[in-house]
Amino acid sequence: MARYQAGDFPAATALIQRIGPQLHRFFLAQFSSRADADDLLQETWLRIHRVRHTYRPGEPVLPWFYAIARRVRIDHFRRASRTTARERSLEEAPDVAVTFPREEGELDDLEALLAPLSESQREVIRMMKVAGMSLEEVARATSSSVGSVKQKVHRAYRNLREQMSALGLKKGPSGGLP
Amino acid sequence: MIDEQVDEVLKRVSRTAQEVEPTLLKRVADSIHSSLQPVRPLPPTWVLTGALVLICAAVAVAGAARTGFYGIEKLTVLERLLIFTTLGILAWVVGREFVAELIPGSRHRLSPGALLTIASVALLAVFALLFRNYRTEHFVSAGIACLVTGLLLAIPAALLSWLLMRRGFAVNSVSAGLVGGALAGLCGVTMLELHCANFQALHVLVWHTAVVSVSAAAGALLGWALREVA
Repeated sequence: MARYQAGDFPAATALIQRIGPQLHRFFLAQFSSRADADDLLQETWLRIHRVRHTYRPGEPVLPWFYAIARRVRIDHFRRASRTTARERSLEEAPDVAVTFPREEGELDDLEALLAPLSESQREVIRMMKVAGMSLEEVARATSSSVGSVKQKVHRAYRNLREQMSALGLKKGPSGGLP
Repeated sequence: MIDEQVDEVLKRVSRTAQEVEPTLLKRVADSIHSSLQPVRPLPPTWVLTGALVLICAAVAVAGAARTGFYGIEKLTVLERLLIFTTLGILAWVVGREFVAELIPGSRHRLSPGALLTIASVALLAVFALLFRNYRTEHFVSAGIACLVTGLLLAIPAALLSWLLMRRGFAVNSVSAGLVGGALAGLCGVTMLELHCANFQALHVLVWHTAVVSVSAAAGALLGWALREVA
């Protein structure tokens, strides 16, 4: 990251190769189609590039990336909601919650498993289990306290335990959902 | 089922992640190539926080110099020590949180709402402890004058704070606005404590403390408006 800040292109490329897939999965998992996730990844990197001076060497790097990615995702969601609302009002369509349909095959095992959790619980589980972040790093990325993250993880695990016990998932040969 | 088993299942299913198109990553790298210049990272948090506190102190003293140091002249040494130490600590804590709001991935010890509550309660406690005159002469007219004076001084404090932190990036502009507004409001209160010689308890408790809340609300509103425009 320090070399990227110093203007080293190979370092920037290596960073994109390393972090890009994680951020792509982060977007893909939330509410977007693959095309949306591709667009969001590009938009996020442009934003990261513009504000790369806000990273201070020595600080954990993943929370910095994820905090910016969350902001881009929220902006995208807000824009999409506004556009959808405008289109609906023009068409005088009935009031239905905004949804972002996924393409066939996009929903993987992890997302199916996390589906019953709240969005904030899914987010912390993804950051911890997919991105491998610690409680402290997740707290930094989500601009919240460690205690609040701990509470979300605790509740998420309680829900997952109940769900997995009900499905008998532990004993499944492939590990996939029935 | 226990947590370790849940962990194991999560680990197993998270391995099924889909690959990203290599062309997409290459496109991203190419898009930043032309503008890849060396950048200077932001200074450490304590440096920025210190600068923010200095800005607030300088603006408050400048404001009081213009309107008169009538308040501090009437305060006892103990009252001065207690009031200005509290304001200094609060300015440091709120300033530190303002810096955190403008640097992605920073550690947040308190939510903006909790911070505002703590700042208001701390000021109320100190003022309630020190001022025991419960008369309410010219409560509204004198109060509004102090509120307006405090808020007017919060504007230059907020502008200078923004100037210092202009290279930052707010991941949540409403929270950043709220915390920035609270910091500017504390600057307004500091000036009022230097200037205002009206020591009626209710006047200080209601109108002086309100500067922080109103300024924070204005900051949050500004942050919300900027977010909607963007």
